[in-house]
Amino acid sequence: MPSPGSEKSSNGPRFRIFIIDSGGNSVAHKVLEENFELVRDLQKDDPIYVLSREQSIEFIRQHQDRIGREPLIAVHDLAAMSESGTTDFHGFRLHLGLMHTPQQALLALQNFARFLNTHRQSVDLEAEIRADLRREGLAGAIEVVLHHEAREIGG
Amino acid sequence: MPERWSDYLTILMSALALGYLVYEIDRRRRKLHDVFDVLDADDARITARLEDMVASGALQPYAGARAN
Repeated sequence: MPSPGSEKSSNGPRFRIFIIDSGGNSVAHKVLEENFELVRDLQKDDPIYVLSREQSIEFIRQHQDRIGREPLIAVHDLAAMSESGTTDFHGFRLHLGLMHTPQQALLALQNFARFLNTHRQSVDLEAEIRADLRREGLAGAIEVVLHHEAREIGG
Repeated sequence: MPERWSDYLTILMSALALGYLVYEIDRRRRKLHDVFDVLDADDARITARLEDMVASGALQPYAGARAN
């Protein structure tokens, strides 16, 4: 959660949210389809742009490094873009297509929606994202150590 | 200096265990960044393309029904 001093007042959309999904990853595609309204309901203040299947295929064709990673959700931070354009931090993205089970995809989508909602008023979004990634990394490290210990204890 | 071969084996196994932990933590960190990360200068071209689609009217805000 952002600290009380790190928020600024809401004044119009903070983000533009883009969904690029050619339907190639059927598991993540289905989870996104089924939970799209949930994301929409959580983000009523920010416009969501959904590329059609044809637009998504054309987009992926032009950005082939994203093949196998979509559905892709890109969130443009309008506050950051108004300050420094796209030369530096200007948003964040989720490669939902890297999730291979419905449970993984749903968890990733829910965490992403929660993250969007929580950080909507953030003044220093980049710092908060990087702090979250560090926290997740630390949690992962602890999990690795604990699993290692558990394996040793379990023989 | 260790005097018994079992001491060497212990040191070797400890080093391998530590190496594995470092490798696994780094692998998970990379995977996390693959799934979720910030948009920066490396993504500028993609961002510009999406913003152009909005500016040109090729994309309209979602208003109640999925486009696909």
